[in-house]
Amino acid sequence: MKRRLLLVLSLGVLLPTLTVLVVAGFGIFQHEWAMEKVARSYVEDLAQNMAYKLDQESPAWRRMFPYSMNLHGWGMSSLASSVPGWVAIVNSEGQLIYASSGAENLASIWTPDIPIGKAIEIRDEKGAKYTIAVIPTSENQYFVVAAVEWEQLLGPMVRFNHLWFILVLIMVLSSLVALIPLFKWVIVPLRSLVNEIGYLKWGKDKPEKDDPRAVSEIRSLRSVLYDLSRAAIERDQLRDSYVNDIVKIQEEEKARIARDIHDGPLQAVTAFIQQIRLFKITSARGKSNSGDHLHLAEEAANATVRELRELCDDLSPPWLELGLANALTEVSERLSRHLGIRVTVDVPEDIALPEEYILSFFRVFQEAVNNSFRHGVADSVSGKVYREGEYVVFQIQDNGKGFEPSPDFQKLRVEGHRGLANMKERLGLLNGDLAIESSPGEGAILTCRLPFVNIENK
Amino acid sequence: MGVTVLLADDHPLTRAGLKAYLETEDTIELVGEASDGDMAWDLIRKLEPQVALLDIRMPGKDGVTVARMIKESTLPVAAIMLTSYDAQQYVLASLRAGARGFILKTATPEELSRAILTVAKGGLYLDSEVAQAVGEKEFLPEAISVREREVLLLAARGFSSKEVAGQLYISERTVQTHLASIYDKLGARNKTESLLLGLKYGVVTLEELIE
Ligand SMILES: Nc1ncnc2c1ncn2[C@@H]1O[C@H](COP(=O)(O)OP(=O)(O)OP(=O)(O)O)[C@@H](O)[C@H]1O
Ligand SMILES: [Mg+2]
Repeated sequence: MKRRLLLVLSLGVLLPTLTVLVVAGFGIFQHEWAMEKVARSYVEDLAQNMAYKLDQESPAWRRMFPYSMNLHGWGMSSLASSVPGWVAIVNSEGQLIYASSGAENLASIWTPDIPIGKAIEIRDEKGAKYTIAVIPTSENQYFVVAAVEWEQLLGPMVRFNHLWFILVLIMVLSSLVALIPLFKWVIVPLRSLVNEIGYLKWGKDKPEKDDPRAVSEIRSLRSVLYDLSRAAIERDQLRDSYVNDIVKIQEEEKARIARDIHDGPLQAVTAFIQQIRLFKITSARGKSNSGDHLHLAEEAANATVRELRELCDDLSPPWLELGLANALTEVSERLSRHLGIRVTVDVPEDIALPEEYILSFFRVFQEAVNNSFRHGVADSVSGKVYREGEYVVFQIQDNGKGFEPSPDFQKLRVEGHRGLANMKERLGLLNGDLAIESSPGEGAILTCRLPFVNIENK
Repeated sequence: MGVTVLLADDHPLTRAGLKAYLETEDTIELVGEASDGDMAWDLIRKLEPQVALLDIRMPGKDGVTVARMIKESTLPVAAIMLTSYDAQQYVLASLRAGARGFILKTATPEELSRAILTVAKGGLYLDSEVAQAVGEKEFLPEAISVREREVLLLAARGFSSKEVAGQLYISERTVQTHLASIYDKLGARNKTESLLLGLKYGVVTLEELIE
């Protein structure tokens, strides 16, 4: 049912139209018929009445009738002028003996096949409709002809009937005409929209933005669908770019770790092996400096351990489990040593946070200090942690060149600047946020905010 | 007077070790040390050592690049690639770039000096670890046909089977048949190995490879 929208809509318009057409046609017909009956009985009455009166007259009168035309005494003329229609008296030879006023056009409508005693309808040459009846007197000596023009007797009703007919016709035609735009502006656009949506690969394609043929409701439906599909595409693209980014970061990380291992421990172990071999060679030759090689081998082994430890620390710092204050202090000292700038941090001892919070602050701190050093060329970075209502805040401030913070982290990320975007997302995962205050020449202040969760409640 | 050698390695500890290796050999004379590619290139042009030991991974120019520059400059310097990586593709890339030898940093002092002396005499030296990966040492390969040699050389220059087929006006299938036969004869498992083994057994020469 719902699938046959066109059928339903067309039937919805056509059926009532046809019903109206049939009912109205029937009504018009009935009305016409009723009017006919009225007109017939009217003219029959009129003629019979006249014929009866003629029969009452004396035979003498009848004999001399053609010469004594005193019919006025019967009130004929008054009759003729007070009621619609006209009467005429004709003798058996067909001679007109009397005619009321208006009966002059008897000749124009007279046809020989008019039956006697029964009213019928005829039309004159102008198309005007008459009902006419011919009634004989008792001895068939005379015939009374009575006729009335419909227009005269039933004028308004006839006109009403015509008007009604025209109205119904207009209604039928207009509803048929209405089906065309319905089809062109509703059905066809709706169908093509349904078709398009049906074959749409969500997240890949979008429907046409507009269909100028359609009615405005369908157009706005289309534009809503267009917006939705565009949003889906954008969402998919965003997801793809995220996935790409993640894969890329993973590969970069692996490459970096491999490089670190190659340049660090691998070289140191190689050097260790070399020194051991040198020791073997020199001691076999009885050289006095063979002990130096052992000493160098030890150094190389120590370097290996140092480098491996650094690598571990970098991958996942074990000292994070020492708590927020210790972890941040440790990283500040390491960064300070490593970068050769002042890095301090002030953490109240009584703030205890779950480990993922500590990790989050730790990574943020690392990235922030690196940014301050690399971009801001700062020589001092200071961090402080404090409670503020329901939040624990970590603020990091540098004395570097400052910058114009971009509100669009997504764009930064796409351009390969992931530091700030990562910070924001990291904090976001813990329902926190990141605020950046900086302007060129002013240094930079990063404020990280996380909802405070006491470690005991975790 | 020994063979003059330049040592280029960015890692101070391994460089010190290698230097000590070389110093134990009377037949070898270390004439210069470089800690990056650019420095290595400068010293090579200035000192024109007989042999340049080049670390593949170095800041500035990497070892393969320096080897290529030596080849292009036609300086009478034989390059030996020195690396921690044992991927055979590195060996091939180095050889294509004109290096005459390939040796791992963990090689023994004896191997290192043998490598230096071999390339100084115009020979080709592949590290025993890399060479081991490509088959038995004492193995006399069955002679390969002229056609097979052509196929091997083109394949070695990096052409695909289809391209080789096009150049020799034979079908791709025939190329594959030839390659399979070459692998069999040399005891190789793949193109790179067959090439390295071909070089090792003297079936093909380095010059043919890099032309
Ligand atoms: N403390 C700062 N001082 C000056 N400029 C900064 C500072 N922090 C960030 N910036 C500016 O903001 C940009 C974005 O920083 P972000 O950390 O997101 O990316 P990046 O450091 O360029 O790259 P990545 O961190 O991915 O290695 C930087 O390129 C820099 O221009
Ligand atoms: Mg950054």
